Amino acid sequence: MARDLGELNREDFARYKDDVKKEGKPFFPRAIFHDTVMSLVVVGIIVALAAIWYYDAGDTPEGEGLEPGILGPWYTEPADPATTNFVPRPDWYFYFLFYLLRIFKWPETVFIATVGIPTICLILLIGLPFYDRRRERRPLHRPVAMVAAVLTILSMAVLTWKGATAKEALGSELVLLVPSWAEEQGFVGNEEAEKGAKLFAESGCLNCHTYLGQGAGNLGAPDLSEVGATNDAAYFVQYLTNPAAYGNTVMGSYSYLGAENLAALGEFLAASKGTSGG
Amino acid sequence: MAAKSKKDLLVENAILAPLDWVDERTAAVRGTKWFLFRNVPRDISWAQTLGSAALTAFIVMAVTGVILAMYYEPSATIDPVSGKSVAYTSIESITNELTLGWLVRGMHRWGASVFIILLFLHMGRVFLFGAYKYPRELTWITGVLILAMGMLMGFTGYLLPWDQTAYWATVVGINLNGTAPFAGPWLAQFLAGGPEIGSDALAKFYALHMLAIPGALIALIGVHIYLVTRLGVSSPPWSGEAAGRERPAVEPAGARAGLVRGSGGGD
Repeated sequence: MARDLGELNREDFARYKDDVKKEGKPFFPRAIFHDTVMSLVVVGIIVALAAIWYYDAGDTPEGEGLEPGILGPWYTEPADPATTNFVPRPDWYFYFLFYLLRIFKWPETVFIATVGIPTICLILLIGLPFYDRRRERRPLHRPVAMVAAVLTILSMAVLTWKGATAKEALGSELVLLVPSWAEEQGFVGNEEAEKGAKLFAESGCLNCHTYLGQGAGNLGAPDLSEVGATNDAAYFVQYLTNPAAYGNTVMGSYSYLGAENLAALGEFLAASKGTSGG
Repeated sequence: MAAKSKKDLLVENAILAPLDWVDERTAAVRGTKWFLFRNVPRDISWAQTLGSAALTAFIVMAVTGVILAMYYEPSATIDPVSGKSVAYTSIESITNELTLGWLVRGMHRWGASVFIILLFLHMGRVFLFGAYKYPRELTWITGVLILAMGMLMGFTGYLLPWDQTAYWATVVGINLNGTAPFAGPWLAQFLAGGPEIGSDALAKFYALHMLAIPGALIALIGVHIYLVTRLGVSSPPWSGEAAGRERPAVEPAGARAGLVRGSGGGD
């Protein structure tokens, strides 16, 4: 106990260096051999994945390779900012982040998922050698570290899996709900509002927003079931044209939908006064 | 002293002399010897090949990436012939027309996932072995930064095919950046390059993906490998009696000879 940690560490390392010098094996060619075999396996796996991906994808009338195989299509349709019914999906190693967004979905908490948790994880990782200063290296003698590792792996696995299997609101299915929305909200026969409701279902609004129990609640987008109780159609048209003007920097502008479509959407939102308030 | 044969003279003049000349000025030959002809603990094996496996995946990414950069065009302008964006058209032709282009693109696409998996496995091994402890703290930190840079490579590379998946994932990604306090909205605006994500954003992601981040990544990998070489590979913590413990002050006579024992990595 008399000697300090730094001194003990340096002694340990001096012993290690001495041992390796006297009894170690040469890096070249002994360790290099293992490394080379492993590297060949890695390249083989990459080539195999590429081949499975290429040959397992099929053709569709729209083009070659668009029909996904087990490793997905060669590419999806060309990027089109005007179709908002496409469900955003990151690469698999961002699924955990993707799912965190669904947990912290309220506007005040989104930054916890997007910035807060990743930053904390990064700081914890970088700081690891500084807060775990014990000399002990055997796993069975480091119970706290091992439990933390298992919990980290489990939570990453669960978040990745949940992110991968998360159900998305698909425009083609949501459109079928328009008549029931019209009935619940009481805008049956209002053609403009019904047209707006269809656009609402198809344009991917529910990828972020929720409406009468449908939708994703991503990125802290609010529930719109009763949004018409407080504002009129003209307000919604302006809001959709430039959300940033209302202090909303997360939502993009929908001005590309055109004045006619925006008017229909505005009419629909204004007609959505909620089922409880009548 | 026997006269040198013609062959010896040739070897000396053609190979050894230039090497000496370079070594005298750069220490490159001594450096290579220092890297190759060193000892590693006797009991390391397959678990310690994950780092070099990740390096191999990175080299695959670099080589296929250079080839892709020769044929890929980062522009969202609509190509008048195909009616699709220039970027998408170039990806189509790399996949369909270029000889073995599908293989190069496929290896780059899937190499990314393999690289990330290997980084996580490598990190898990280092954690399990407690190999981040003294004196390898900085090796660990450069490793964490390499992982972060690898994830950024994935994020910036995902946009480049300019298809629906790429486009909408990036729209969400940029919006996520925008939720960060302080620099968030500024960063999101910079990346998007305008009210709508288009050619500006594509050019920025391309520059980040093939110049800025790979530059940082290569530098970090260089430092990482230098540190691993300088400090030595740690042996498994359970090797012999050495791991994490002091050894008896006086070893019995002859204990070293014939005793199959780990080399006490890092303790």
